[in-house]
Amino acid sequence: MRRLRALEPLAWVGPAIVLIALVVLWPVVEMIRSSFLEISRLGVVRGYNGFANYEKLFAEKDFGDVMVRSVIWVIAVVVLTVLISLALAQLFNQRFPLRKLARWALIAPWAASVLMTAIIFKWMLDPEVGVINQIRVKLGLIDAMGGAAADQLGDAATAMPWLVFVAVFVSVPFTTYALLAGLATIPSDVYEAAKMDGAGRLRTYWSITLPLLRPALTVAALINVMNVFNSFPIIWAMTHGQPGYSTATSTILMYILKGSDIGESAAMSVVNFAMVIVLTVIFLRVSRWNKEVA
Amino acid sequence: MKLVGGAALGLATMLVLSSCGSGGAGGGGGDTQAESGGQVTLKMVAADYGDGPGKPNSGATFWKGVTDEFTKANPNIKVDVQVINWNDIDKQVATMVQNGQVPDILQTGDYSGFVKDGLLYKTDEVLSPNVSGDLLQKFAEFGKVDGAAYGIPFVSSARALFYNKDLFEQAGIAEPPKTWDELKAAAEKLKAKGVTQPFGLPLGQEEAQGESFLWMLGNGGGYKDASGKWAINSPQNIETFTYMKGLVDAGLTTPNPGTKDRKTVWEDFGAGKVGMVNGGPMSIPIFDAAGLKNYGVAPIPGKTGPLDTTLGVMDWIMAFNKNGHAAEIKKFFDFFYTGDAAQKISDTYKLLPVTNSGIQKLSGDEKLKPFLDALPNASFYPFQDPKWAEVNPAIKQTIGGAVKDDPAKVLGELQKTAEAAG
Repeated sequence: MRRLRALEPLAWVGPAIVLIALVVLWPVVEMIRSSFLEISRLGVVRGYNGFANYEKLFAEKDFGDVMVRSVIWVIAVVVLTVLISLALAQLFNQRFPLRKLARWALIAPWAASVLMTAIIFKWMLDPEVGVINQIRVKLGLIDAMGGAAADQLGDAATAMPWLVFVAVFVSVPFTTYALLAGLATIPSDVYEAAKMDGAGRLRTYWSITLPLLRPALTVAALINVMNVFNSFPIIWAMTHGQPGYSTATSTILMYILKGSDIGESAAMSVVNFAMVIVLTVIFLRVSRWNKEVA
Repeated sequence: MKLVGGAALGLATMLVLSSCGSGGAGGGGGDTQAESGGQVTLKMVAADYGDGPGKPNSGATFWKGVTDEFTKANPNIKVDVQVINWNDIDKQVATMVQNGQVPDILQTGDYSGFVKDGLLYKTDEVLSPNVSGDLLQKFAEFGKVDGAAYGIPFVSSARALFYNKDLFEQAGIAEPPKTWDELKAAAEKLKAKGVTQPFGLPLGQEEAQGESFLWMLGNGGGYKDASGKWAINSPQNIETFTYMKGLVDAGLTTPNPGTKDRKTVWEDFGAGKVGMVNGGPMSIPIFDAAGLKNYGVAPIPGKTGPLDTTLGVMDWIMAFNKNGHAAEIKKFFDFFYTGDAAQKISDTYKLLPVTNSGIQKLSGDEKLKPFLDALPNASFYPFQDPKWAEVNPAIKQTIGGAVKDDPAKVLGELQKTAEAAG
């Protein structure tokens, strides 16, 4: 009877463990296994391939550029998202007329499908008929529709900022809400105490709000790092990683490789996976996430 | 303890999020079983020739019509068709094969990759002799690997130059260009009249390999030379792309061709923004939908004269042997080719038939005539070379760079991909 009692917790956590093993661990194992197999483009497994998939991947002319771009992409999107969200969360934490409506409106980009959002932006940027270009023509920023000047997604130098913009646009709502929730947990008596001590607004924000917001901030930023690194639909829908591979991140490269060599694509996935782990560890180190704040 | 718990949670989140990224779009594989009472369900995967789900010409609608009629005539056989768009079909089929869930029937752009691994029925096991005898001989030849036929030609298409007659008239161009220099002169006149894309040049992911091939043919080049060796960076091809680069730099084409899909450019042509563009019968519905009526069709200009050949594209239908079902598949194939389904697909999507009888039936259609005439002398991609499967995606991704950066370098990289170990 006692022994049975000891097994009881297993009954409670068992289903969760099975679920995690099935939908999380097993695909990871499969992914790593695939990266060592020779698999034809059409999915036929032809046997063990050693490290050949990795050698081929690292020898790809664009591999280095793509990895560097992925890291820049993550940093740019996450930093911008967090900065904008910090400001927005502060704003939405104030009382103002129609706040409820404004909060609802903020959810829209989050609720809409990312792919849809990306396609809409692609249309708005269309060189012949896109509304953004029509506005630019009216403002006199470009001479006419249809030319290279109106084709911002056609060149990496102008396409990349737009991709980052869209990624920030879809990431801000979640991040803002996470921070808003964090703000709500800060007790008002700390602010009163700060006021009594004569702290100014900036000082209060820096010494009270930010430190107390850190748990929420860390979680929000971490989820963003992983999400953005694996982000696929925005870039795929807007540029296919083109021209060439010049707007491709590692996730895009993984997908493109899947069309020619599944084993190599799996190797790319494993590298991607390792990158996420490395980025996460660095991030947690930097943010000293486990140091409890007072 | 708190730390460990937190770390575990963090790791779990990470695993969940990152494994989402690499998961294949699988599912829907062939759960084909003979059910009780001799009922057989054939699982079929087909590409979408229409404008996608929900559109009146979607592949799903088309196939439902065909399979309903088939099941009416053969109550014991049901055909489940999963229609997938062209961009995803190869990857999704690969996922099905990898997971051991192959369909019974696959209709897509290539069959040759499955042959080596022994996944397909031979043609004569699933097609009656009277049907295979009706197939165009030249096309059926391409369905063979080492003398045995596995791929059954499904539909075909050919390419020609479309030009907007109204724009040509406004620009004072009397007739469609026959040579590259005439093309350039016409493009300059169109540009002077304010046409934003005098020549539509889609070298983006969707079909860069097609547009490139048409230009290569115009200078006696191609992906391979006469002896069957890869020749992507041959002097002719480099000259060709240098000439195209000149057109691009002068603003006479679609801007940044390496990022533009053909569908976008065809839609722009339909909207009257493009003076001329290479297209096929399948672009006619797009032009019609956009409301463009006054356009002409001419042979594609080459360096010194119009092409005496054109790009022919054939799509294929094939049968997998994993689930048995040869007899049922044969019934379905015979039904498709001998009934009106094959003709219906030509009518709906302006695709060209692959049978002698089909071509005869269509010979009255004025718009299709230039393409039907071009079919017998068409050139094809070197798709039977196993390396093509690897070269083709590389071309789609990077060949646009040849009209932006150094043509010799970009084509040289592609040549290297083609020559690399196979």
